Amino acid sequence: MAKNPVRVLVTGAAGQIGYAIVPMIARGVMLGPDQPVILHMLGIEPAAEALNGVKMELIDAAFPLLKGVVATTDAQEACKDVNIAIMVGGFPRKEGMERKDVMSKNVSIYKAQASALEKHAASDVKVLVVANPANTNALILKEYAPKIPEKNITCLTRLDHNRALGQISEKLNVHVGDVKNVIIWGNHSSTQYPDVNHATVTTSSEEKPVRELVANDQWLNIEFITTVQQRGAAIIKARKLSSALSAASSACDHIRDWVLGTPKGTWVSMGVYSDGSYGIQKGLIYSFPVTCEKGQWSIVQGLKIDEFSRGKLDATAKELIEEKSLAYSCLN
Amino acid sequence: MAKQPARILVTGAAGQIGYALVPMIARGIMLGADQPVILHLLDIPPAAEALNGVKMELVDAAFPLLKGVVATTDVVEACTGVNIAVMVGGFPRKEGMERKDVMTKNVSIYRSQASALEKHAAPNCKVLVVANPANTNALILKEFAPSIPEKNITCLTRLDHNRALGQVSERLNVQVSDVKNVIIWGNHSSSQYPDVNHATVKTPSGEKGVRELVADDAWLNGEFISTVQQRGAAIIKARKLSSALSAASSACDHIRDWVLGTPEGTWVSMGVYSDGSYDVPPGLIFSFPVTCQHGEWKIVQGLSIDEFSRKKLNATAEELGEEKALAYSCLS
Repeated sequence: MAKNPVRVLVTGAAGQIGYAIVPMIARGVMLGPDQPVILHMLGIEPAAEALNGVKMELIDAAFPLLKGVVATTDAQEACKDVNIAIMVGGFPRKEGMERKDVMSKNVSIYKAQASALEKHAASDVKVLVVANPANTNALILKEYAPKIPEKNITCLTRLDHNRALGQISEKLNVHVGDVKNVIIWGNHSSTQYPDVNHATVTTSSEEKPVRELVANDQWLNIEFITTVQQRGAAIIKARKLSSALSAASSACDHIRDWVLGTPKGTWVSMGVYSDGSYGIQKGLIYSFPVTCEKGQWSIVQGLKIDEFSRGKLDATAKELIEEKSLAYSCLN
Repeated sequence: MAKQPARILVTGAAGQIGYALVPMIARGIMLGADQPVILHLLDIPPAAEALNGVKMELVDAAFPLLKGVVATTDVVEACTGVNIAVMVGGFPRKEGMERKDVMTKNVSIYRSQASALEKHAAPNCKVLVVANPANTNALILKEFAPSIPEKNITCLTRLDHNRALGQVSERLNVQVSDVKNVIIWGNHSSSQYPDVNHATVKTPSGEKGVRELVADDAWLNGEFISTVQQRGAAIIKARKLSSALSAASSACDHIRDWVLGTPEGTWVSMGVYSDGSYDVPPGLIFSFPVTCQHGEWKIVQGLSIDEFSRKKLNATAEELGEEKALAYSCLS
């Protein structure tokens, strides 16, 4: 085990997603089976005892790759020297809360955490925001951590991307590992646009377009889209709890592909700082198709966008612009 | 991915341990990164919707190694063709319940599941019982599945083994991966005996005895033992929930080492059918030190047992004898 350990921060670590993700990280799912890790877990004061319970379990599991655990309610200690930051902690929407209330709470959290990360994390820290509203929390984080390169601040839409792959694989009765290059455009919300126009299935002979194989545009343009958009709610309805397992797993995929690179001929979806590509306003955290190499993502350029898709891309951008204004109004 | 998928059953799959365990299995932690798997998930009808939610999340996570998911409340469907069975489902102790009540409930569950496994599982199915009382549930399963080779029915004490490694590593401030060859003797209960008399630590100057390095027999014979014995309760106190993460992870370790073999010079602890080794009464499921090779476990023979240890081994064997009698009385 020659590699130096990598420090990985998980905020909201005493919660459901935290509990699912930390054993995945400790087993090398996030960074590879030869990469030792040190986990930094941050929780709020009321969760301190539960957080310590998670630390105890991590010790009890005797993970060979896990070289240390820092469990703390202190943001500075949590952020110190971390190379990767998974921001799972946030204020959940409770019954009776208005959108503005949720936004207001989360904007203050992400403003404060931005500051701690900027001051104490490793200078090239890679940040993944999971807590909703993910795109806007990431944007706030970016605005208040100007020293962190904007390309290092992302949000999770890999869950939606993986959900889209899963829906296609079920529809076509193929293995999900043979489906690729769906795209999630935009906001990790119900305005996201799951786009299969460039997606393919690897059959025994070749790669075939999903749209051709499904041969049901009606389904692809309506039911498929709404199923993926509303999958989070469907999981809550079935489990009475939100999707921790799949969110944690997808967060590992997001980081792994970012750090270790995407396979040749394959792209993934990540919420990244928009640069004007595909006519999307600059200055949003927007989900795009990206490839990753040498620890950097780059937006896949030149994909054809038909009229139907154009409408969808613009609608989700519009929602993100509104969220951005709402967030800024909460800060004043 | 040339290998045929292995079918793995998890009972009680809609519960906490199930939720932690299934993504680990789907990522190859149990059987290796190149072994495709098909998950069979069983739970009781009241949990059917939650179980389906778990299946949905497994589909959503787009695991490359996961070649199928069977989620069912039908024990025959669940058991059909399975190569590995991890029995997590059982009746939990509720407030006000007597030991006899818990035993009665679990004895009926394991009796009927024994029957289904025997009839429908793949030949040479390997069974790991996790649900408490683990040793006695495994014994009942064995008694009522006579065509399953007794060597294929085990119970989980790897969690206690890993907890013991963790406690030693913390005490000595060394990496847990440098500690090995603790032993958990006996029952997965508070009468278990965590024994470090043959445990070692890898140091720059070679492998040294744990007892020698700790140099504190009072601690090793007192607090260390009770900490490991009562760790489950300590986790519940901190988390308000029992240890799912570490139990799931240890279950993966148990199966992986059983199937793929233990490293040279290293043994692990498994609850296995006693053959009289170390003067433990035959016919109990008792935790012993074992090595594994070619898919078979073998009790490590010839370890010296001092007087202190002898008493501990006898005490936990006695408790298992009592549990066996209680279980049989529940069946009559």
